[in-house]
Amino acid sequence: MSAKPSFAAADLGQAFRFWPRHNEAIYDRLESKHAWLEERHDDTSDAEDPLENEMILNIGPQHPATHGVLRCVVKMDGETIEKSVLDIGYLHRGIEKLAESKSYQEFMPYTDRMDYLSPYSNNVAWCLVVEKLANIEVPERAQWIRMIMCELARISSHLLWLGVGLMDAGAVSVFLWAFKGREDLYNIFDEVAGARFTVSHSRIGGLASDVSPTALAMIRDFVDSFGDDVDGWEDFLNRNRLWIDRNKDVGTITREEAVELGLTGANLRASGEPYDIRRFEPYLRYEDVDFDIPIREEGDSLARYFVRMEEMKESLRIIRQCLDRLPEGSIRTDDAKLAYPSKDEVYYSMEGMIHDFLYTDVGVAPPKGAYCYSAIESPKGELGWYLESDGTGNPWRARLNAPSFANLQGLEYIMEGSLVADTVILIGSLDPVMGEADK
Amino acid sequence: MRKDADNVVPKVEEGPSHQALKFFFTPVDEPKPDVENHYAKSTTHLPEVVAALREQFPDAVDENIHEYAGEQTVFVDKAHIVDVCRFLKEEQSFVYLSDIGGVDRFTDEDRFEVFYNLVSFEKRKRIRVKVRVDEEDLDVPSVTGVYRAANWSEREVFDMLGIRFTEHPDLRRMYMPEDFEYYPQRKEFPQLGIPGSLPLPPQTPEGELQYDPFPAAHGRLTPKSYEEPVSKYDGEDD
Repeated sequence: MSAKPSFAAADLGQAFRFWPRHNEAIYDRLESKHAWLEERHDDTSDAEDPLENEMILNIGPQHPATHGVLRCVVKMDGETIEKSVLDIGYLHRGIEKLAESKSYQEFMPYTDRMDYLSPYSNNVAWCLVVEKLANIEVPERAQWIRMIMCELARISSHLLWLGVGLMDAGAVSVFLWAFKGREDLYNIFDEVAGARFTVSHSRIGGLASDVSPTALAMIRDFVDSFGDDVDGWEDFLNRNRLWIDRNKDVGTITREEAVELGLTGANLRASGEPYDIRRFEPYLRYEDVDFDIPIREEGDSLARYFVRMEEMKESLRIIRQCLDRLPEGSIRTDDAKLAYPSKDEVYYSMEGMIHDFLYTDVGVAPPKGAYCYSAIESPKGELGWYLESDGTGNPWRARLNAPSFANLQGLEYIMEGSLVADTVILIGSLDPVMGEADK
Repeated sequence: MRKDADNVVPKVEEGPSHQALKFFFTPVDEPKPDVENHYAKSTTHLPEVVAALREQFPDAVDENIHEYAGEQTVFVDKAHIVDVCRFLKEEQSFVYLSDIGGVDRFTDEDRFEVFYNLVSFEKRKRIRVKVRVDEEDLDVPSVTGVYRAANWSEREVFDMLGIRFTEHPDLRRMYMPEDFEYYPQRKEFPQLGIPGSLPLPPQTPEGELQYDPFPAAHGRLTPKSYEEPVSKYDGEDD
């Protein structure tokens, strides 16, 4: 038998000076379910070779393949993972607690830092739940622009998934190609919002600013050229022996398992469950546009790859329709009690300035005791907010339903029984973002 | 450190329809259910499911159905939550658990709430079931036996609010380390943390453990990871 990891903080000297009980609990968890394993190996005399016996390996939290600060503690039998325990929380900032001391608008920059690969979707998710709670109507034009930007954010997020996922598998060039596309998107976000990365462009009741004709031309250029880029990558990858072999039949989950584990987004759809919030409970104007929801039945990493590639093309389709149908009009609700007044009013009228001050100070105050839930289909899956008001300008409780959190729970299950070399592929293919999972 | 006398909150007369909040007024509006919400979705309106629940569990399901923005919330006695979830999953096709969360209402009775966000693909519906938990008895039966996906969400609620889910297979903390002894999402927990509650890594390899994440907020110096070069100015101008 391999030596039972008699974990005690004192024996390890200075190695685990902080949080000894935490590590102890993780190792206890690894041991408890598989006590029989030790008995099985009890009589083996040559217990020194780790390939023949259980070994405990910490992957992360500081590991490039874990896409952030994910710590996987795995117990291996040879090369196979017997039991895996994920330890998350290394990026825990307590944004739900922070929201309780911020006004609704003040909290928006924090949402940029949740899923930092698609900040615009997070902004829109937060705006939509506040607008639902306070019953604020948003002008048509703002809704269509939000849709365009959300779909661009989806492409941006999937591009990073593609580049990083392939880099994990050994193909560095795709990372560079994907970042060329992301660079174009950054430039569009810069033109629209004034920031390349953490945009914070959406506002409660509308948008911060209208899109310029230059921005619309840039989006149109991107939409026209990007489809060919995706097709080129697919030509390269779909017949790439290494990529296919690395992904096919790796981390397979059936439809029942995926639903039971609570997977969301592309991971759920790759197993055959057509659950997409854009169809399930349409928000913005998704009812009015024509698009398909890509589905795969296989449920392995390759299926997740196909689904995400298709989703990028569907996003382009949605953006094209939005550009064609973008109506003229205002971009923010014309009610200074519910949304910021325009800068013209603020700078040139006393009432506008007073309203701007009041909105910054108190902001919107939804009715006391009201609570609601609003979800969007973010690039990672169902991104929902449960919001409860106490009648003041600060939320009483803001609860984030993070898609990466749900997907990571599935990862713990998927990893068990797979090879340790596949963990890198699995993490990449489930596409978690720790900023969101850790809140 | 400022003296408390400098921090006195201005007193504001309480009017009948206003509530004094720090230094500004906020009107308190009661929810108006008859106002049409622009964001109400058909997925959250499910009178048949509520009726079926009432019929199946006449004692466990509360009379009041909270409704706001077209969303119906069913309050359930916490002792029956597992049965209710099993009924919803097996009879009403709510197979997908989207989320479990907790709320600290900060009231004397039934201080905490746990809500379950369940989805039925077949019916295209979403239901919210809530249980109330008193501070004296923080045990709630775990629904991990019905929904596997409840595992991590319940751990998170335990971590953040201290609600204990009985018969949970693995009730460890989700985000905070096991060594932490407080429940940070509770309303009485200070936002800057409790100094001394959690040792943090030292700034230098040989340094001391840090016990206060925000030393400046408590009138102490922030430890530095580097030696500051000696300035040729001694701090006094001219």
